[in-house]
Amino acid sequence: MKPPQRGRGGGVRGGRGLARGGEGSAVRGSGRGGESGRGRGPGRVKSESDGGIKGGSKVLVTPHRHAGVFVAKSKADALVTKNLVPGEIIYNEKRIFVQNEDRSTVEYRVWNPHRSKLADAITTGVDNIWIKPGVKVLYLGASSGYTVSHVSDIVGPEGCVYAVEHSDICGKVLMNMAEKRTNVIPIIEDARHPAKYRMLVGMVDIIFSDVNHPEQANILSLNASYFLKSGGHFMISIKANSIDSTIAAETVYQMEVEKLQMEELRPTEILHLDSCEEKHACVFGGYRLPRK
Amino acid sequence: MAETKQPLIGLKWEPKLPGLSLDLKTGSTRSKTAESSKSELVDGLCLPPNDPRKINKMIRKQLKDTTGSNWFDMPAPTMTPELKRDLQLLKLRTVMDPALHYKKSVSRSKLAEKYFQIGTVIEPAEEFYGRLTKKNRKATLADELVSDPKTALYRKRKVREIEEKSRAVTNKKWNKKGNQSKNTKPRRN
Repeated sequence: MKPPQRGRGGGVRGGRGLARGGEGSAVRGSGRGGESGRGRGPGRVKSESDGGIKGGSKVLVTPHRHAGVFVAKSKADALVTKNLVPGEIIYNEKRIFVQNEDRSTVEYRVWNPHRSKLADAITTGVDNIWIKPGVKVLYLGASSGYTVSHVSDIVGPEGCVYAVEHSDICGKVLMNMAEKRTNVIPIIEDARHPAKYRMLVGMVDIIFSDVNHPEQANILSLNASYFLKSGGHFMISIKANSIDSTIAAETVYQMEVEKLQMEELRPTEILHLDSCEEKHACVFGGYRLPRK
Repeated sequence: MAETKQPLIGLKWEPKLPGLSLDLKTGSTRSKTAESSKSELVDGLCLPPNDPRKINKMIRKQLKDTTGSNWFDMPAPTMTPELKRDLQLLKLRTVMDPALHYKKSVSRSKLAEKYFQIGTVIEPAEEFYGRLTKKNRKATLADELVSDPKTALYRKRKVREIEEKSRAVTNKKWNKKGNQSKNTKPRRN
């Protein structure tokens, strides 16, 4: 059998080789161009920005309904937060640079709803996220600190985010992020044992729980009993498959809500995040709320 | 024992009339030359108004118009024709591209109309080839959307359609020429 012909061009990044061929050629790598144009040199990579906000384009930043959150409006919209550490990026996200009339500069970071359940909840249309500038947040299941970085942007320098993460690998990334952000306190501990980090965490206004664990309702209630103020609020993201994959997602959500109600956690809103995450829901509510 | 003279402040200020001075305690007038060193306030001193409402009004005028601490004191920009055009264009952007559908931006407050900032997107290193080139970058949002080739094609097509609709409908029977017209008799060989 004849070996495949090696032609010029082709390929996502240009150059020679067996990458994608050119215009309608049957032989791999033959023909010119492909996605990358002609011959050698870097080709055009299809990026996220193709449909949305491209680098270098002008956008109009306006305040969102929720405090501390902004919307960048252009041909496409994006959710953004004011960067607490201008010039620093966490995960190669786009930034928006603004120069005011008094020559002062502001920087905003784009918040991707496909990577953050809180951002997805905001875009879906949650009534109130309760996180606003100046509040103290306990974040359970911080992972690499993607959502944590945006929450720290929202609460601002007066606020504080206690980020609890059990994994050492994710914890290292979280620690690096927290070095630059003074309002993030990383805690590399198991959220199932809040007594281990009770000396580090003060009373908080909000608990955000993103722990994919069958006992996540109990973990939240235990942490709430230690750290959450009376009249404080909580958010819990429920992944139906991590609790019970054999029964319907709706039933799982209902079971979790019932568990929360037993522990003085009163859910006020349930959001289904099916647009970005399948079989995920976000429950928002209050803790020991005064009876009307 | 010599009394230390304290400078007069606030409402104890007495107006300096030529040749006359008002005694605050007795209310009698005395010659100014004798008591010239007594008043240590400078001429033309502007007193703040007594009314607290007026004071608050003055303070409010001095402060910058911002969104408040909930949105990190985002300032309201001075409206220029370019900014007005950009805002109007964003309101009517549903018409720009048939493929894109937008949520109705129903905000509780009118914050978005008054407070906003125009910024430039800085792309990450990995999206170097997806960015706008320097040639394609424009000064305003309106210019950028107008120069976009995709929207330009759609816009041209729509304009053509509207022109065809609005064109005066001519009587078609006058346009027929030669053999097509009914009036011409068939030729005999």
